[in-house]
Amino acid sequence: MPAAARNGQRRLALDQLRRLPEFLIIWVPLLLSAGHLIAFALWTIWVSFTPSTLVPVSGWVGLRNYTAMMATRNWQIAFDNLLLFGCGFVLLSVLTGLGLAILLDQRIRGENVLRSIFLYPLAVSFVVTGTVWSWLLNPGIGIQKLVNGLGWTSFRFDWLIDREMAIWTIVIAAVWQSSGFAMALFLAGLRSVDADLIKAAQIDGAGPVRMYRRVILPALWPITVTVVVIQLQFAITTFDLVRALTGGGPGIATQLPALVVYDFMFQRGLLARGAAAAVLMLLILLAVLLPYAAWRYLQRRQSAHA
Amino acid sequence: MNKISRRAMLAGTAGLMTAPRLSSAQGVKPRLTVISQWSAGSDGAAITALGKKFEEKGGTWQHSPVPGFTTEMMNKLRAQIMAGDPPACSQLKGPEIAAWSKIAATVNLDALVAAAGYEKVVAPDLARLHKPGGKWISLPLQIYSTNMLFLSKRAMDKAKADRIPVTWAEFNALAEKMKAGGVTYPIANGGTRPDDGQKFEAALAGISPAAYRAGIMALDEKALKGPEVKAAFAQVRSIADWMDPNTAAQHYSINLPRFVAGDMGMMIQGGWAQGVLLNAGFKLDDFIIAPGPSDNGKPVFLLNADAFIFWQRKEPDLQAGQTLMAELVMDPVIQTMYSQITGSIPVRTDVDLSGAGWSDGQRRTAAALKEAVAANQAVLSLAHNMAQENGMTAAMIDVFTEYVKNKAITPDQAVARLSNAVEGAR
Repeated sequence: MPAAARNGQRRLALDQLRRLPEFLIIWVPLLLSAGHLIAFALWTIWVSFTPSTLVPVSGWVGLRNYTAMMATRNWQIAFDNLLLFGCGFVLLSVLTGLGLAILLDQRIRGENVLRSIFLYPLAVSFVVTGTVWSWLLNPGIGIQKLVNGLGWTSFRFDWLIDREMAIWTIVIAAVWQSSGFAMALFLAGLRSVDADLIKAAQIDGAGPVRMYRRVILPALWPITVTVVVIQLQFAITTFDLVRALTGGGPGIATQLPALVVYDFMFQRGLLARGAAAAVLMLLILLAVLLPYAAWRYLQRRQSAHA
Repeated sequence: MNKISRRAMLAGTAGLMTAPRLSSAQGVKPRLTVISQWSAGSDGAAITALGKKFEEKGGTWQHSPVPGFTTEMMNKLRAQIMAGDPPACSQLKGPEIAAWSKIAATVNLDALVAAAGYEKVVAPDLARLHKPGGKWISLPLQIYSTNMLFLSKRAMDKAKADRIPVTWAEFNALAEKMKAGGVTYPIANGGTRPDDGQKFEAALAGISPAAYRAGIMALDEKALKGPEVKAAFAQVRSIADWMDPNTAAQHYSINLPRFVAGDMGMMIQGGWAQGVLLNAGFKLDDFIIAPGPSDNGKPVFLLNADAFIFWQRKEPDLQAGQTLMAELVMDPVIQTMYSQITGSIPVRTDVDLSGAGWSDGQRRTAAALKEAVAANQAVLSLAHNMAQENGMTAAMIDVFTEYVKNKAITPDQAVARLSNAVEGAR
């Protein structure tokens, strides 16, 4: 073997050795956390087919836990609420986030301060958000009392204790908390729109409204999808906000799937039923994430061909 | 030098070898690991006092409280049992004792109970819950009634009333009088699930203890759909109409200041509210405690008993600790101390409550229990997990809590929903 080739091989080996820490740092935690996640997901799926109650036991009951779970009022209410909350929350937070981003994009003074203010709620824990809003929205001590005290005595804002409207109080609090996040993403998107495109539109005589509608917003489309998917997966797994804000009440009117899972597993001691609800939640989540992954894949292939 | 040191070493070794034997002959130092939900307020104070007594007897007390509902404590217990390291002793109550004793080995306390003569002084219904399979594995510590009637003295003054209501009709009349007399909300209430459950169980047991026994405790389908259950739902609707609608999901104790001030009039709450009231700085003459309404005039007692269950451990010090703890829990002096702190009544029926440390409310509660047992009207509380296991209890309370909060549900619909929920959870 010529010396040069041997040298090259040695250098390759050395190179790999030098990069070993990088591999270790990236792959070991990644594999561990992936294994952790997948192992527990598989374990939960297994438990959902067993007759487990207080502690996990082996056995096979087929789909009985699923049919029983889906027949409960708790799950039905939780599922309906998820649809309402998911749609309401995602739509409103995208609209508010986009609106705020467009307003901030007008090269105004104090943009940094305003941006921090709107982003700030994200730094607050959901438990805190829920608790604070539970005071604000409580008709006996919050907004309603304030307005009544100011003289408008017939003013009513009692959604928190109205079982039809209570789910919207959660939407309000969640939108307050996370529209700043949507704003930040949209703002980044607005700033990355090609300046030449804007100039070209200006030369063609487009006004600001037309510019946003025809030029800038279409360019924001990929970011919108990202925001929607992130907010949706947050909506599906919401737990702490509801716990703190309404406790699932009035009655069981604001149950969400994550609350039902916790309730059945740890409050009622029906481990298998709760596991079945958890698997149903996973399926809902996949129903959102798989189309998104497919869309991303198609998009990447298109841009590769272009 | 060399010799001496070797001899000294020998002596030392011999000493070391005999030392543990000597100490085991005298008994190891008892140690107890305990978990409970009692972390703060009068409950926390009571178990801390119990721990002090344990230490006075030469033991090491290792209490890890898990605050929140009982189920929160159970989550820790479950984790410890699955890890093969259960506490030597834990709080547990009602039918859960039987359910949990199937998943881990417990200690047979028969000999200790017999030595203390404890069985003779415990109400039979209660004894049965604590010896699933015929063996004592757990010991009840204190008793509460979940349907005590608390009357605010100031609200009574506003209503110009001085008679304690006995039946539901009298209760309803008093509530109307309070309303007319300027009490904003005749009923003080929290918005939590157990609160709503308590309103229903108080109503049904007060209307007919027999229907409660058959419907709620035995889950008899005919009784569950019977006229008494419907009447109970109708009574709960009246109670709900007198409550502050703004309570949302708050704890009942938030309303105690308004209750004492006479802004709210009555409270159907467990006897533990006495301890909470006193702990919050209110005086015994701010309120009156009486047994909850009962239509046949004789007191109905909705039993709620806290208990300790003992989990099998191999360590001799923990075993010695379990023996010491069992003796303490059965001791009338300890039960007196404990109940005087929390506002409960002792499990032992032979404790004299005429002394200074007891309130009139506690004396009335104890008398009510005696009368209720004699009239076969002492029943097990559903809302506080004494009548059914957690899964069934929660399914039934779903119905009650929805009913309390949703005034569009009629009593007839509620009856149908209740029997459906029971069917679904069976």
